[in-house]
Amino acid sequence: MDDCPILRVGAKIMIPTILLFGLYVQFHGEYGPGGGFQAGVIVTSAFILYALIYGLDSTRRVIPPFVPRAAAVLGVLIFAGTGLASLLAGGRFLDYDVFAGSPQKGQHWGIFTVELGVFVAVFGVMLGVFYAFVGRGRPQ
Amino acid sequence: MFAVAAVGILVSMTLALARAFLGPTVYDRILAANTFGTKTVVLLAAIGFLTGRPDWIDLSLIYALINFIGTIAALKLFEFGTLAHTRGRDRE
Repeated sequence: MDDCPILRVGAKIMIPTILLFGLYVQFHGEYGPGGGFQAGVIVTSAFILYALIYGLDSTRRVIPPFVPRAAAVLGVLIFAGTGLASLLAGGRFLDYDVFAGSPQKGQHWGIFTVELGVFVAVFGVMLGVFYAFVGRGRPQ
Repeated sequence: MFAVAAVGILVSMTLALARAFLGPTVYDRILAANTFGTKTVVLLAAIGFLTGRPDWIDLSLIYALINFIGTIAALKLFEFGTLAHTRGRDRE
């Protein structure tokens, strides 16, 4: 959409705002509505907006197609790795109390790590779905 | 106060929905859908204050962002027939 200056300038204003709001939802998820899933979707929507305005090829230069696949796997690895780490630390699977000394701090860090894993996995899967659907019938 | 505002917003949402169903052209429908989304943002904020949970402002902000992207996606799909490319109609 080279001939739509309003959309291009509007997207330049909106995309950083959306990314910042996604980070807010991610890190504020313990205290208000939000969490890893929502933050992943919001951050993905920023890149979807970029793809709509500036084209799929530019977006593929920004985020190469192997990144969503790797992110999806990495998120699951972070999630399961947290559970295995709690097992190795002497607790049950995904039992955060054994992390970081006191149970309160352990819960804090455990939730934080798991939400990070969810965020990365959702970001990868959503962007991968978008690439797969929008890129149909086009050269990779 | 917020209850009255919420009812008023619901009535105007119904009108926008009627335009979305009846609209003769596709742009009427898209404009009605966009209006519906904007009203949803305001309705979420009003309900949040009505029930004493201002956290809902977060939800309405997200709805505003997603509504913007959705409208652009629908318009691009109707104009070009695909979401992928960036050039004008004559280039691809």
